[in-house]
Amino acid sequence: MNISKLKNGIGALVQPVVAILLGLLIGAIAIAIVGGDISQTYAEMWKGAFGSFYFFTNTLSRATPIILVGLGTTLAFRAGFFNLGAEGQMILGGLCAAITALYLPGPGWVKMIAALISGIVAGGIWSAFAGWMDAKFRMNLLITTLLLNYIASLFAGYLVAYPLKDNTGSAAMAQTKMIDHSAWLPKLFHGMSLHAGFLIAVVGAVLLFLYMRFTVSGYEVRMLGSNPLFAAYGGVQRGKLMLYSMIASGGFAGLAGAVEVLGTQYRYLDGSLSTPGYAWSGIMATLLAGSHPLGTVASSLLLAALQTGGMGVERNTEVPLEIASVIQATLILFVSAKISYSFIKRKKARAQDGSVV
Amino acid sequence: MLLNMENISKSYGPVKANSDINFTLGKGEIHALVGENGAGKTTLMRILYGMEKPTSGSILVNGKPQSFSTPADAIKSGIGMVHQHFMLFPSFTVAENIVIGQEPGKWNGFDRKAAVAAVEELSRQYGMPVDPNQKVESCSLGVQQRVEILKVLYQGADIIILDEPTGVLTPLEVKELLVAIKRLASQGKSFILISHKLQEIMEVADRITVLRDGRVTGVVDAKHTDIEQISRLMVGRDLAQMQRSTPKLGAPVLEVKGLTMPGDRGKPLVDGATFKVHAGEIVGVAGISGNGQSELIGAIAGLQAASSGQVTLTGQDVTGAPVRKIRELGLAHIPEDRYQWGAAKDATVVENGVMGHARRQQRFGLMRGRSIRKMVEGWVKRFEVKTGSLDTKVQFLSGGNLQKLIAARELAQGTPFLIAAEPTRGVDVGAMEMIHGELLKRRDEQGAILLVSSELTEILKLSDRILVMNEGRIVGELPSDEATEEQISLLMAGGKRQ
Repeated sequence: MNISKLKNGIGALVQPVVAILLGLLIGAIAIAIVGGDISQTYAEMWKGAFGSFYFFTNTLSRATPIILVGLGTTLAFRAGFFNLGAEGQMILGGLCAAITALYLPGPGWVKMIAALISGIVAGGIWSAFAGWMDAKFRMNLLITTLLLNYIASLFAGYLVAYPLKDNTGSAAMAQTKMIDHSAWLPKLFHGMSLHAGFLIAVVGAVLLFLYMRFTVSGYEVRMLGSNPLFAAYGGVQRGKLMLYSMIASGGFAGLAGAVEVLGTQYRYLDGSLSTPGYAWSGIMATLLAGSHPLGTVASSLLLAALQTGGMGVERNTEVPLEIASVIQATLILFVSAKISYSFIKRKKARAQDGSVV
Repeated sequence: MLLNMENISKSYGPVKANSDINFTLGKGEIHALVGENGAGKTTLMRILYGMEKPTSGSILVNGKPQSFSTPADAIKSGIGMVHQHFMLFPSFTVAENIVIGQEPGKWNGFDRKAAVAAVEELSRQYGMPVDPNQKVESCSLGVQQRVEILKVLYQGADIIILDEPTGVLTPLEVKELLVAIKRLASQGKSFILISHKLQEIMEVADRITVLRDGRVTGVVDAKHTDIEQISRLMVGRDLAQMQRSTPKLGAPVLEVKGLTMPGDRGKPLVDGATFKVHAGEIVGVAGISGNGQSELIGAIAGLQAASSGQVTLTGQDVTGAPVRKIRELGLAHIPEDRYQWGAAKDATVVENGVMGHARRQQRFGLMRGRSIRKMVEGWVKRFEVKTGSLDTKVQFLSGGNLQKLIAARELAQGTPFLIAAEPTRGVDVGAMEMIHGELLKRRDEQGAILLVSSELTEILKLSDRILVMNEGRIVGELPSDEATEEQISLLMAGGKRQ
């Protein structure tokens, strides 16, 4: 039994590992094309991501929002629906966290906790809104979650450009005022960028893993995603469960935004959550990990390392930062190749189900 | 003879699907092929259409031996097949669907005008009116059928295999189809007609070949036979009588009143079904599949909505109630289609086994892993489910083994009411006896069971009362000690009760 489990585990690892190797290979070709030294570039990339304690913690801190978004996407995928709205949910989460921390009276730790919660709630509501439209008007989740991103992003942009704009500083940036120091997420190490949000993300991953694996409703979520008809037949309440998963999924994304605001930015700055592409990296991490909560942590770290490593490459070589994006894109290409391959296999199996009596 | 199939045999491992079948078809003849589910009709036609290779035997078209390895080969020899489920592209037009594979071309590709003209010509020639420019998705099922037949004719078929062609049609469309078949036959086309509906066959066929257990049990002239004789040839075996105690009826557990479910085109799928199932009895529902049994079960189990009528379970109205409530009130359900409803393929044996039990096997919302494993392990042992381990994904189990797991799971729910739909589909003889034994035991313990099966033997062996469904209606109710297979098949095929 353990052997079969182990085999399954190894089998599940083969695909992402092959994808990573192919990604690095194609990255090498790209490096060669732009005239860089392949081994030197990869060495710089490694150094940029893991080369020193400073760079390592930097990578972890970059991975933090990616992990949280990835967990939300994982939950949604496991329940059998798409949530491509992580970006909007994250933005609203971050914005609400900033507003709460700025305007809620009370001691710093109260502000901080309230801000985190408000981030979760905002992301959850935004995601549930898409779920509600699906249930009520049969609007496709793929489309609604995606389009709600623009609404959230532009709305937040408006708020920080006009009513909530920070007019104290000299720079005319679209941003809120800075949050009081007492409400910041504490740094884990002095002088490093890594903050307590990383611990929140790791704990979240473990909790999600335990929930999926050991609770009745986690079981029901998995069965709903695996075969919705089987779930319905067994008495799983699809509507309710879907709404809750939607809320939780958006809640994770909202938390990602809140953590980023309270731990790194200390204010909501327009574009600061969308430009680095945290949300899309999170979705990629989920795909890469095959929607496994703990695997999502690992793949988020990998993607974050690619990004911080890419910065290292740009600092120290002639090779442009975009090389990391090439590798990342290749990775996703090969991972999604698996998805469409298994999709085709399923279609074929269905065609063979026999049309004749 | 236009077509000679000689001594066709086909084995799948130890199972003989066809043994020594001889089948002939003359020019302009309509030859019906009948038999129960699993009698070998499908296999024989798949062999003729190049989808299967016979283990032995030969096929002669116009006296020349042929060997088909793909449907394309069969089409080249003038054999066409219209499948039970239409194989059309809904978003394409009628003409596009008909010419597919042999599209008229011009220098820049597909010549749409020529295609429309060809279809119009074909439609005139064979007297089957269609609008070439209409999209298939907006055609009625009767027209879609016509499109399928025209497609086969366009491919130049002289031999046309129709597989259950009337299953989805309204009575009027059926009449039109039968007329069209006769006209085409008078124009020299030959038909092989697979059907369960004996009345239609009597109306249209020239000859009838009956299969049972992979063998030909009779080739009769339609003029010199009747539905009763064919039913006997189809069934024709003595029943192994299982000892059943006389039922001790309790209070009614399930009451269904006037249940009606809407269909696609005015023809209701379930039409005013009314019956009761009491504690301590098995009520069998017999019928050719697709006559409303699935929908009836769906409505009782809370999976499909009825348009009118009422379902009462243990005295409570459960019409339109959520599945969980119905299950909590006392429903267990062995579903008809194990892959569609009964299991999640990429989940493990344990995960599939715990469905419906999970809420009882919990503490503070956590699943009691150890006792759940023990429970499932017990079923695996008792029902001899062959599986690598409890953590094997059920997609790796054979259909019969998965069926055993599902039957065990639902029997273990221990509810007052059980729906057993095709409970032994695809399981071996030993397991079948075991599942049958369990069902009878449940009945003797005052369980109420609704058994839906397309296997008449199963219905007769287990049921205390038999309901026969035809086209959504319950057309007969017989006590099982008075019922005979002939009588039931007659009712199933839409014949009159004697």
